[in-house]
Amino acid sequence: MRFKTSNLKEAKHSELVSCVSWMSPDDVISIADDHKILKWNLVSAETQPFAELPQDFHPTDVHWLPKGQASGAGSRAKGGPSGSDVFLVTSAEGKLQLINKNGRMEKSVEAHRGACLVGRWSHDGAGIVTGGEDGAVKVWSRSGMLRSTLASNTMPVYALAWSPDSSHVLYATDKLLTIKPLAPNSKPIQWKAHEGLILCLDWSPSNYRIISGGEDCRYKVWDQFGRQLFNSSQHDYPITSVSWSVDGQLFAVGSFNTLRLCDKIGWSHSLDKPATGSLYKIAWSADGTQVAAACGNGHVIFAHVIEKRIEWKEFEATVTGRKTISLRNVTNDAWEKLEFRDRIIQISMDFGFLIVVTTSQCYIYTTRNWNTPTIFDLKEGSVSLIIPAEKHFLLVESNAVHLYSYEARLICSPKWPGMRPETLNAHTVSLCNDTIAVRDQSDEKNVHLFDATNGKALNDGRPFTHRQEIAEIALDQVGLANQRKLAIVDKNRDLFVANVRKFGKVSSTQGNSAKIGAMVQSLKWNANSNMLAAIQDSRFCTYLYPAVIFVDRNLLHRTIIERDSGEFGKNPTIVLFSGNSISVRRADGSLVTTAVSPYPGMLFEYTQSNRWSEATKLCRFVKDETLWACLAGISTQARHLETAEVSYSAIQEADKVHYIQYIKELPTKEAQNAEMAVLTGNYQDAENILLQAGLTFRAILLNIYLHQWERALDLAIKHKTHVDTVLAYRVKHLNRCDKDETISRYIQYMKEVDIDWERIGAKIEEEYHKEREMGGRAGRRGSSVP
Amino acid sequence: MEDLETKGLFIDDLQKLRVLDPELMEQTESLKDECGGFVAQIGHFQKMTDGFIAISDEVSKEVEKEKLASLGARNQLKSITKAREQEQQQLHSLVMEKKLELERLRIQYESLIKVQAEQEEFIDQLILQQ
Repeated sequence: MRFKTSNLKEAKHSELVSCVSWMSPDDVISIADDHKILKWNLVSAETQPFAELPQDFHPTDVHWLPKGQASGAGSRAKGGPSGSDVFLVTSAEGKLQLINKNGRMEKSVEAHRGACLVGRWSHDGAGIVTGGEDGAVKVWSRSGMLRSTLASNTMPVYALAWSPDSSHVLYATDKLLTIKPLAPNSKPIQWKAHEGLILCLDWSPSNYRIISGGEDCRYKVWDQFGRQLFNSSQHDYPITSVSWSVDGQLFAVGSFNTLRLCDKIGWSHSLDKPATGSLYKIAWSADGTQVAAACGNGHVIFAHVIEKRIEWKEFEATVTGRKTISLRNVTNDAWEKLEFRDRIIQISMDFGFLIVVTTSQCYIYTTRNWNTPTIFDLKEGSVSLIIPAEKHFLLVESNAVHLYSYEARLICSPKWPGMRPETLNAHTVSLCNDTIAVRDQSDEKNVHLFDATNGKALNDGRPFTHRQEIAEIALDQVGLANQRKLAIVDKNRDLFVANVRKFGKVSSTQGNSAKIGAMVQSLKWNANSNMLAAIQDSRFCTYLYPAVIFVDRNLLHRTIIERDSGEFGKNPTIVLFSGNSISVRRADGSLVTTAVSPYPGMLFEYTQSNRWSEATKLCRFVKDETLWACLAGISTQARHLETAEVSYSAIQEADKVHYIQYIKELPTKEAQNAEMAVLTGNYQDAENILLQAGLTFRAILLNIYLHQWERALDLAIKHKTHVDTVLAYRVKHLNRCDKDETISRYIQYMKEVDIDWERIGAKIEEEYHKEREMGGRAGRRGSSVP
Repeated sequence: MEDLETKGLFIDDLQKLRVLDPELMEQTESLKDECGGFVAQIGHFQKMTDGFIAISDEVSKEVEKEKLASLGARNQLKSITKAREQEQQQLHSLVMEKKLELERLRIQYESLIKVQAEQEEFIDQLILQQ
């Protein structure tokens, strides 16, 4: 990836250009010390004077009101490419001005003593924050009324930014960065960030990372807690500007005669050396494909990102220009060139489809035929994210999220309260063949789950709620919809798996999610099987069957393949996990490919298609305990007794083998299912199965064995059977523990019913006999039962 | 004869009567001729010096121009070294950039080689076991 820069021979401004801002996807305004505001249209390549400023006005910063936030619902409905209608300009004379889109000044206030150096709208458009030479950080209402002075410092504030949720302000004084909450009496976070004066910073609303640059000629990347993630090498000149792209995947760094394009991790994609003097301000367009930069010699330069390259199997697609993509089939070296009418904004290639989104349309190519794409018009034309799945793909636009099939049919448009789709990224929204998961944007503990076929919220519309704020979510990709699992990494970097679909009442002991890892830096589900790769601390872990946590907790650590992640360096990210190959992006940007054993994938394939004997054969062939543990988990989950017995014996779990043998002896299928549920710890499920099959006695017995005395008695009374059995067992239990009866209902019934062990024994024998008869009949009816 | 001479009359060699002493006359004549010659020579000299002055003026102008040009060239030379330095610096940073990229690709290549070796080993193992 690199920048392709374009600038005019003649500078349009006669003095230093101090700031630029995008007013719409194709229009930029620039303000210079010659007191002129110019408007640049990139489509017609025209430059027009926009407005004239007073002679005693020297601009320092400009910022358009974030689009779609102008006046709530009204403007949101209009939306469109017209952009918002008001912007702020700060001046070296300490003024804060609001100017509308016709160039008329709406408001001018004396904001600071000395220069007002920086001014920013909050992301929701509800407020403005300014910083000045007097060291004050002031918060203003959107109409320009002073709300509060957030902070007073002895050093000037050169740069500041809003937090993603607009509840904190990050500002730079001297060498320090400070995150100050808007709420009064709350403690700020402050740290020393640079060796020299900090000149510029930015905070991405989509990936929560902070970048800063200063006079020590370095730029650094931080997370939202102030931990350093990247420190650049020393440049020749001070860093004068930094800016995040909207999707948070890239950022641009400006210095004297220098424009750099960097990945979000911090390593540099490309370096340009335009003869422009210092770049005082860099602004990204809303679609994340272009930047405009204000230059010290009166130029305004524009650059767009080209040479983005993606791969899928043997195909390689490269965006070669604004409107062209070249495709290469690596196996036969066949080249294709795709041309588009409009500028390309996003591309994605996966599952055999290439999706190209331009400013107005979406093209879907299959990898088998590059000549006839399916084309449809976009609703808004500002796609920020494409998420593909095997059957369909998700387009995230600025005001809505749409799910399309590969035949270009709109399947659904899920909605949730407080949605702000423009800040969604691949970590906060996940898609698989049957489910869409989206992390809530106001309460980060919640995940909204939608059925992908109709866009309806799952589980009666209740979002999944986690204990902590969630940092990352990912859905597994294959298998049945009712076994769909969601992997969650919370802000403590603990890894959880959760069941997406809830059935019946979930017992409190079982819970709906379970922790399987800690200190997780990055994770990825396998595209072909439900393996999960994760980088934890300094180890690289492959969870061969993470759902085992819901089947047999003890098997979890036996189904993990761990190894040292030293070869990946510090802070690696997993970018691809497909088949048995894993691609990891190191912090220095290099892509390292590594392989895991191919056997688990094969095993998964066999078990998916119910070929249990082949699966067992494979395990016998490989003779690997991890693989046996996997098979034990999978077969227990699938309630396939033979395989479970074999695999549990292979991993020397004698107690499990005994239990499975006992289950196999059971006469009825339902009882077996119920006992398997017990084996996996799903007591609630087991009881439900038994009651549905009419095996009330077994249900009661189950509760007795679980010492859930009240529930046992309830069932007995409800079904008017075995009340005396329950009481008998209770007495036996109390005697054994040498305790007195404390449950009032038992005391009451104990008086009414007398216990006769002989009669009870006979009754139990009768029940078993009945069951055997039922099983016998079922056996004759369906010969499939083993 | 003498009387004639006192009266200011002279007889020349050809016995002709003369008002002026023929000797003097002869001298005057030759003086006149010589004066004419002298004037002509002076005139010629003037022309020559004029020509010389014009040429030297031209040369001086030429020299002045050359001087300026050389001065400019010298300055340019100086600035070129500076520009070269700057260019070198820029190219150096671009080279550094490419080096980093090369390093990234090298690491990627090495990892792929490793995967290839692993896969080959795996295939060999399978063949052996069959």
